[in-house]
Order: sequence, then C-alpha cells, then structure tokens
Amino acid sequence: MNIGLEYALPILTDPLVIGLIIAGTLIGVIIGALPGLSSSMGVALLLPFSLYLDPIPAIALLSALYCAGTFGGSITAILINAPGAPPAVATAFDGYPMALKGEAGRALGIAAVSSVSGGILSLLVLLFAAPFLARIAYSFGPPEYFALGVFALSMLASISGEAPIKNLIGGCLGLLIATVGIDLTTGVERFTFGVPELLEGIQFIPVLIGLFAVTELLNQAQELNRKKIAIALSAVKLPSLNDFRRVKNTILRSSGIGIFVGVLPAEGSTMAAMIGYNEAKRWSNRPEEFGKGVIEGVAGPEAANNAATGGSMVPTLALGIPGSATAAVILGGLQVQGLRPGPYLFEEQPGLLYAIFFAMLFANILFLFIGLLGAKIFSRISLIPSTFLWPTVFALCFVGAYGLNQSMVDVWIMLVAGLVGFILKKNGFGPAPIIMGIVLGGLIETSLAQSMIIFDQQWTVFFSRPIAMVFFILAVVSLAAAQFRSLLAKFLPHRR
Amino acid sequence: MKHENTIAGIILLGFCAIAYWLTTDFSEVSAMLSQNVPPTFFPRLVLFIMALLSIILIFTGIERKPNPAEFLPASFWKTVGIIISAGILAYFLGILITLAVIAMVLPIAWGERRYKLIAALAVCLPISIYVVFTLGLDVRFPAGRVLEAVM
Repeated sequence: MNIGLEYALPILTDPLVIGLIIAGTLIGVIIGALPGLSSSMGVALLLPFSLYLDPIPAIALLSALYCAGTFGGSITAILINAPGAPPAVATAFDGYPMALKGEAGRALGIAAVSSVSGGILSLLVLLFAAPFLARIAYSFGPPEYFALGVFALSMLASISGEAPIKNLIGGCLGLLIATVGIDLTTGVERFTFGVPELLEGIQFIPVLIGLFAVTELLNQAQELNRKKIAIALSAVKLPSLNDFRRVKNTILRSSGIGIFVGVLPAEGSTMAAMIGYNEAKRWSNRPEEFGKGVIEGVAGPEAANNAATGGSMVPTLALGIPGSATAAVILGGLQVQGLRPGPYLFEEQPGLLYAIFFAMLFANILFLFIGLLGAKIFSRISLIPSTFLWPTVFALCFVGAYGLNQSMVDVWIMLVAGLVGFILKKNGFGPAPIIMGIVLGGLIETSLAQSMIIFDQQWTVFFSRPIAMVFFILAVVSLAAAQFRSLLAKFLPHRR
Repeated sequence: MKHENTIAGIILLGFCAIAYWLTTDFSEVSAMLSQNVPPTFFPRLVLFIMALLSIILIFTGIERKPNPAEFLPASFWKTVGIIISAGILAYFLGILITLAVIAMVLPIAWGERRYKLIAALAVCLPISIYVVFTLGLDVRFPAGRVLEAVM
C-alpha cells in the first residue's frame, strides 16, 4: 500500500516545515486558550503571513494551528470556566466542576488524551477518505458541483438550530459578496461602484479578518467588566489506567461522531462537541452526575471536537467544499495561493495531503505534551488583560488586511466588514455562513453558468443526473431536518 | 421593546430591493456573448432567494414575543470611533504611527490606567510590526501625508 512516503519524507525533513508546525501549534494553543480568540480567527490573522510562504509550509502552519486551537480552548474552559473557543463550551460543563473539586489536572489530562485520540483517528480517515472521495469527484460535471454547492449551503441551516433562516440568509449574503467584480463569462462589472480595486472582486482576507476579528473586538468592547479568575492548578497528571478504561468507549464513540460531523459540509467542531457531550451523557450509566464533574463529560466533547478537525478537511480538500468555518478560511487561503481545491488538487500538489496529515499529526502529539506540561502557563496567558490584548489584535488585523495588496481600500473593507459583522451578530447572524457563501460563491455561480450553457438552458438536466439528484435530495432533507428541529425546540422547550 | 427578526427581515428586504436596482445598472451584453447567462442572472437569483428568506424571517419575528431593547455601553461607541479614526488617521500619519496612537488610545478608552505599560505597548507594537513586516516580509507602509509634507 502506497502511503505516499515519497511525498512525506521531504516534508518531514524540512526544518522550515517542522518549525512552522511547532510555531502553529504553540500559537494555536495560545489563541485557543485566549477567550474571544478562536481557531477561525487565528487562521484568519495568520493567513496574510502564510501567503509569503510556499503552499505546503503555509498549509502545514494553518493546519497545525487549526487543531491546536481547537484543543487550546479546553484549558480555559476547565480552569476559568471561560471557553477559549466555541468548540470548548461543552468541555466546561464538566471540566470546570472538576476543577472546582480540585481535579483540574485530571480534567486537563483527560481533555488532552481525548483530543489527541480523536484527532489522530480523524487524520487516518482524512488520509484514506480524501483521495477516495477525490476519485469519485473526478466524474463530477458542472451540474454535480452545482448540486454539491447547494447541499453545502443547505447544511448552513443546521449550524445553529435556533437560526436556520438567518444562517441561510448569511450564506446568500456571502454568495452576493462573491459576485462583486468582473463577471468572468461576460466581462461586465458588477457592484464595483467605479472603485478600481473592486474589479477583481472583494478580497477574501480583509472580509475574513473583519468578520472574525474586528467583530469580536467590538464584542469585547461591551464586556470589559467581566472578571476572570484562575483556579489553582495542581500538577497535571495523565489519566490513570482506570480513568482510561472508563472513558475509552466515550472517546471512540465521540471520535466517530466528530469525524462524521466534520465530514458534513459546513458543520464544525462546535456542533461535534455538543453532540459528543450529549451522547456521552445518553450512554452513561450515571447521566445524573453529568454537569457535576465527571470525566466522560470532558472526554466526550474533547474527542469529538478534535476529531471534527480532521474530518472537516476531507470535503475541503477532496471536493473544495469546506467542512467547517476554519476549513473555509483554509480553503480561501488555498485559493488565494492560486491552488484549486477539489479532486485535481491531489494531482497538482500531491504533497499537500501529506503536509496536512503530518502537520496535524505532529500538532496533535505536540499539544499532548504542551497541554499537559504547559497548562499552567497557558492558563496564565488567558489572564492577559483585554485592554492590552485587543489593541494588539487590532494592529494585526490592520496590517494583515493592508499587507496582501498594500492597499488602504482593503483596510476599509476590513473595517466595514467588522462593523457590519457586529450588527449582524447582534441580530443572530453569525460570520461563518457569510464566509461559507463567499468561499462557495465562485464554485456555485461558475458551475451553474456552465451547466446552463452546456445543456442549453435546460433546468431539467439537474434532475436527470443521479449524483446531482442525490445532493438535491440531501439538501431538502437537511433543510427539512433543521426546520423540524426548530419546531421541536419550540414545542418541546424542556428537551433542549 | 422590539421584534428583532421582523426589523432585520424588513431591513434585509430593503437591501435586496436596492441591490436588485443596482443590477439594472449592469452593462447589457448580447445574448450571443453572454451565452444566455447574463451577468445579472446569478446575483438576481441569489437576491430572489434572500428576499424570500427575509419574508419568512419577518413572519417568524411577528410570531415571537418582542425582546427588550438593548443599549450598547459607551466603551463600544468609543471603540467604533477609534477604529474608524484609525482608517482616516493612517492617510495622514501613516500606518505605523497610527497603530502607535491606537495602542495608546484604545487601552485608555477601555479604562486601563497603567500608563507605563500603555507607553511600552505603544512603542513596542509598531516596532515589532516594522521588524516582522517591513524587514522580514518586505511590506512597505505608507508614511502618511503629514510625514511626506515634512520630509
């Protein structure tokens, strides 16, 4: 069996790549541990830097940051009940009560081991499933890609059960933003308002930085009085054999859930963690103890949220459809690098899959040690006053938006995106669906236009192609399921 | 008290109407050149779906109980003012000096009173950015109108 050692060896022996993976892991854990900074934001902030690198070192850096950031959130979730990132919210349910009982070290140990287990299992799936999926996708034509894009957008309805309509509107807004610039079929300017910088379209990176980082800066400006109190951390210890026996089934189950949820377009680590927690509770012999500090309550969400990171890279690389918000950011980064995510990516950049695999694998092993040995330091980092942290983040946003084209128009796009993003967030519209829409916009419009041209405006062609039909049916099922869940939540509020 | 979803839906519907009107301004191309897929086709399709979803949002808002109005604190408005000023200031003072000013003003606006630390941040931040971006990555930051006039 060829596992691509000829591609893997140059990556594994390149000091630059190894250095970047270590840097990405450290930055990821720090960003994940800082409340308000998520891995999506971290990848968005680091994206402008990565463009100065070749594709493989760049993607290794971003992938390492992605999985380390997902784990980093658990440190503050356990120690100060302030999840550093949304995927760690469920970890706090039992992690913080464990810390209050003086078992912070045990909780961190369980979190680290569960995360690593989930992460490594998902990477194995990535290594084998992505090329397999890519081979299937070779037979896709424009109608299939259009249907796949529609299915991916329909999945936005499920990101948050409370706001399916708003997520879909956010996705449409992203699609609309993607139409700005010169139409590639006709050469006609669209929504450019006479601004020459907009002829090539709205740059992805400034919008991304604005929606994730500036929006969060404004959000933090409202919460200046929130106090963070660290719990004294006893020596971090690995779970005992007995602990491991207790959580091994939970880890395996949650890893499976995480991989499955991650592979679904648009669904990311946060949802995986929530399902992982709920399933851990449902399968437990003592569900009544959940919320009071049980190790299964930490292992379930941690295994699931990190398993989702590897899972989400499968459709991202094989189909060009992002599996999560952070994967959408990485996908945008690949596009900015001039790469074409999708089945042909593996032909054009055969080393890329291995770069991602080894970067994430190395990052997983690295953060096991970092998480166990450095938890005390990282919990202190999380106490950096926001009055110093956020001006620094804003400076990075400013320079990151400016740096790509060295244009102040991009800085203004970032500022406007941040302000609009904040207003939208206040009204229940998250940034992730908009980013998904922007990333998918090109694919959906191009494949729709190509289908219409090739098949002479025959709409019925979409329903005569079996694979396209499957995706459309899945899209309808996804929308119906989201609506059904909303209705269920409305009529059975006690079950939420 | 306000019906959040209803208001949001009405605003979005207005946005769709304006965006649709903007599409009427797109240059016209012959059917042969556009191959019967005019440049307005996709944006209008998206706007139609968005308008439809906005109408659904309006109705879901009417069904719900209105939420109490939420007021944003002064620190938020100060921050908005500061970040917009940063975009304007950069034209006059250049990006690095602007970032030094922001590193001083933003912490003070957020209630920080440890002035020595603020001063250290205001000095270290632009220097670090200069070292990493200009010396390391060859990104040139404009000097700003004021410095250009002086020099």
